[in-house]
Amino acid sequence: MKVSQIELSYDQKKNHLDGVTTSLEKGKITTIIGPNGCGKSTLLSVISRNNAPQQGSVTLEQKDIMAYKAKEFAKKLAIVYQQNTVPQDITIEKLVAYGRVPHQQLMKKNAEEDEEAVNWALTATNLMQKRTCKLEALSGGERQRVWIAMALAQKSSILCLDEPTTYLDIFYQIELLELVKKLNEENSLTIVMVLHDINQAIKYSDHIILMKDGKILCEGSPIETVTVDRVKEVYGVEVIIETHESAGTYMVPVSI
Amino acid sequence: MNKKVSSFLVVSILLLVVIIYSAITGSVKMGMMEFIRAFFGEDNQNYSVIKDLRFPRIIVALFAGAALSVAGVLLQAVMRNPLADAGVIGISAGASFVQLFVITLFPMMFFFTPLLAFFGGAIACFLVFMLSWKSGLNPLKIILVGIAINAMFTGLTEAFVTLCSYMNVMVGGVGGSNLSMRTWSDVRLISFYGVIGLLASLIVASWCNLLTLQDKTAKSLGFNVTRARLIIAAIAVLLAAISTATAGVIAFVGLLIPHISRRLVGSDHKWLIPFTALAGALLILTADTLGRILVSPLEIPASTIMAIIGGPFLIFLIRKDK
Repeated sequence: MKVSQIELSYDQKKNHLDGVTTSLEKGKITTIIGPNGCGKSTLLSVISRNNAPQQGSVTLEQKDIMAYKAKEFAKKLAIVYQQNTVPQDITIEKLVAYGRVPHQQLMKKNAEEDEEAVNWALTATNLMQKRTCKLEALSGGERQRVWIAMALAQKSSILCLDEPTTYLDIFYQIELLELVKKLNEENSLTIVMVLHDINQAIKYSDHIILMKDGKILCEGSPIETVTVDRVKEVYGVEVIIETHESAGTYMVPVSI
Repeated sequence: MNKKVSSFLVVSILLLVVIIYSAITGSVKMGMMEFIRAFFGEDNQNYSVIKDLRFPRIIVALFAGAALSVAGVLLQAVMRNPLADAGVIGISAGASFVQLFVITLFPMMFFFTPLLAFFGGAIACFLVFMLSWKSGLNPLKIILVGIAINAMFTGLTEAFVTLCSYMNVMVGGVGGSNLSMRTWSDVRLISFYGVIGLLASLIVASWCNLLTLQDKTAKSLGFNVTRARLIIAAIAVLLAAISTATAGVIAFVGLLIPHISRRLVGSDHKWLIPFTALAGALLILTADTLGRILVSPLEIPASTIMAIIGGPFLIFLIRKDK
């Protein structure tokens, strides 16, 4: 997936995305980080076609994403948003089955294929036992997994996640990121996500995009990208970055 | 037996009971068994009177109740707002005004009554959408705008009717909200368009379900949210318009019934839509029958009874939402 020269402004005053160019490598985990308002979620929304850029284009398999039919695009790319609303009395399997919508026409559906995809998505997210439960009976971490299962049922090769860990306890945060990693490794899903936690980004990404003021400041492997100087420049925080034998590379804030 | 199935059964049985009770009660009376025997072919003079006078009224009440309740469910799905009701947000008033206005000026247009009502309802619906969209889908904002639109069309209707009475012009179309004096031609009208609208609403039930997701999530599934909204809103306006054209403006049914129905059969529209149709038919027929017998030989219109029950219910819903 190639992103070239994206410009987008919500209010014509400020460029929320200003000449963003990058490429997202197939089969890798790419994480976009940066301070609030830097345009990271906006970039994700452009990649996932929720917002159309005013300038520039995003191409997937040599084709502009705006040229895809909505359902065709949904078979290629799925996205899980940070917050979701739905009636609380819906069962898990019904909600996950919504992920099959891109594969269905009003009168035509392949029940066997749908069933298989839903089962796979439920198994992958470890929700098989809960399939007949209602959404209201689940914990926050389980709910986030349900939304991921719905996206998986789309059977797309790219999965986008917008701040998937934000409202979760640390246990569920780790559980979720491990799930993302597993999906990436076992099913070679391309992952593009926005994270707030820099340590989680370092630990779980192959590639990090660091943004500031609607621009990409730098990108590359976690160790190349997240340096003491850049964190100071982007976030205004003095940090120590060290590598620990078993914990890997980590960052600790010291002062502002 | 689960709650959904038993709710369906109970409402169906009640509906049957109220239909029979309504048919045999009034100035011409019949015994229950006598009525059932006559229904299956036994000769009975009272029965033929009832058939011509009361059956059309009962059938119109049933369809009006079903159509308005389903219109409520559809509008609530489209606006993602549990308070939307065709009568409250002005769609029925718009339908009523346009058909009244046009038919009074051009009585020959009588044949197009449903079309005119649909047109009026669509204008009102469009205005509500356009004026409240800016702030997203804030439920109270839609209601406030809707009430203003409703007041505007109701005022126009009243002004028009008053002017006509000064100038001794006969007002055409259905003015009041009284179900008395319905004829078989009303039945044909409402059953034809009513069946079309109700069937269409069943077809779009799965779209209504998808609209309960956030717009951006539904969009990410390749679902055309805008097109679905337009089509569902059009079906809702059709249902509201046709019941307004034959039974007058009845508010609050589309608010009360969907709310109670969600409690009983859940929020899956594949169950919710057929259930609200039955429950709505039951409510309006009950209201009309009560209005007919409470102060007999005088009558209280069904719409008046609905306003008396519905007003407090809306307040209850708004308070509970907070």
